[in-house]
Amino acid sequence: MQARRLERVGFNVVTTAIYAFLLAPLVIVVLSALNAGTYLRFPPQGVSVRWFVEFAHSRSFMDSLGFSLRLAAIVTVVATILGTMASLWLTRVSGRFRSALQVLIIAPLAVPGILTGIALLLFFYTLGWRQTGLADLIIGHTLICVPYVVLIVGAVLARQDKTLVEAARNLGAGPLRTFWRVTLPLSKGGIICGAVFAFVTSYDDFNISLLLSGVGATPLPIQLFDYLRFSFDPTPAVAGTISIAITALVVLLVQRLIGLDALYFGKK
Amino acid sequence: MRPALGRHLLIVPLLTVLSVFFVVPYANMVAISLMEASHRAAYVPVFTISNYTSLIESGFTWGVIWHTLWLGALTTAICLLISYPVAWQMARANSRTRAALMILVIAPLLVGVLIRTYGWMILLQDSGIINQLLRAMGFAPLHLMYNDTGVVIGLTHVFIPFMVLPIASTIQSIDPELELAARNLGAGPWRSFRRVVLPLSLPGVMAGTVLVFVLAVSSYVIPQLLGGFTVLTVPVLVIHTISELFNWPGGSAFAVLFFVITALVIWFYLRTIGRVTHAG
Repeated sequence: MQARRLERVGFNVVTTAIYAFLLAPLVIVVLSALNAGTYLRFPPQGVSVRWFVEFAHSRSFMDSLGFSLRLAAIVTVVATILGTMASLWLTRVSGRFRSALQVLIIAPLAVPGILTGIALLLFFYTLGWRQTGLADLIIGHTLICVPYVVLIVGAVLARQDKTLVEAARNLGAGPLRTFWRVTLPLSKGGIICGAVFAFVTSYDDFNISLLLSGVGATPLPIQLFDYLRFSFDPTPAVAGTISIAITALVVLLVQRLIGLDALYFGKK
Repeated sequence: MRPALGRHLLIVPLLTVLSVFFVVPYANMVAISLMEASHRAAYVPVFTISNYTSLIESGFTWGVIWHTLWLGALTTAICLLISYPVAWQMARANSRTRAALMILVIAPLLVGVLIRTYGWMILLQDSGIINQLLRAMGFAPLHLMYNDTGVVIGLTHVFIPFMVLPIASTIQSIDPELELAARNLGAGPWRSFRRVVLPLSLPGVMAGTVLVFVLAVSSYVIPQLLGGFTVLTVPVLVIHTISELFNWPGGSAFAVLFFVITALVIWFYLRTIGRVTHAG
């Protein structure tokens, strides 16, 4: 028994080290944003909001932040509507066509985003759109956000009791009324989670945006990338800290609404 | 018949979007890779296979392809080693602990890849945190960035969640009694793992390794920022060809060629694993 306990302790030490590795860069980004000096040193030179002020005064960063939020909001609405409709369809049909469509819906996540970006750039050019910008980004982001909505809403719909819908229909409610009064209230949590995932995916996307961003239409990650190629100071850490704060909120929200656990293991 | 027809209206919008903005653009890209490059226009609509033949004949191209595949394989192997214990612990924890561990694994995934790479830049630079600590302890500083080491560290970190989740979900479906039985019958921890848990979790391992390999070989930000100009990978070269040299047919051909090579590597890998497990 002694040996097994020792095994356990050793094992937990290893996994704790791995979690430290996973979280290290995130912790470092937050520390660096709050650090008073230009470079992060040990011991740190004190806490300051200097870099937050710098970020707020930077025209290009603030413009990109605003643009990213606007883009993510539009994409969230589009992806949530398209994705929820598709999930409802997927729960109601079966057969070969259904499996083929399931593959097609997930495909934009399975192929490299960089490649999809290239394909879209070339396609828009072929169509005669010579300037990339907001519309192109909305289309590109929608492709990679819809799969999350479909997966999450689909998982929630699959756990729902189908007899409730049948009961509503048998009692004389039309399909639209059944949706508004029965299906929607029951899947609200899943739809919100799907929307939240779509928002974060769009807000953080780099690969699709790289080639599709345009003049006055530069999402924050692209702006940060351009900045980091030529300079290195803690201003990007502020953007990172904002992003980490959003993530923390999202995780808490999803955990409260449907539970991350249910999401990734399918069933309990 | 009306309700059946009405129900299909649900899929029409998404199907249209996916056909027009996903299937057609990919087909268009393949078509452009078979057209002539030009200095005056993005491409000239004349059929040619010269974009492919010049890639295949170039030793430089194969060097970059080989290096990209090598970085991907190394990243996948290290990810697997790191992720397996984490996945096992997660799968075997009670549901409260599992939710907490899940948050720790998924949270980094939700913070954009650019932010995480930036965090690694602060840590790995020549004057970064790790080297400051090494110097303070009296060790010689290490060159950790702008080389393969930095790229593999960054790639491994970013893709660990994609390895942990599929493995955890297969381990969870293995009855813990089996492990206990093996241990009680006298098998050591290593032996019970190798003979019981590992074979049964193989589907999760296969899914995780394929996912991480695909993501790693197609990553652009990490080789660019952590590798600087010293680490050349296929995505870096493709983007350079398209957005700086404006050679769209050449860039498209390289992208399509590498896509096919990656698919072949994965097919070969899955077939080999299938054979080994059936034989053993």
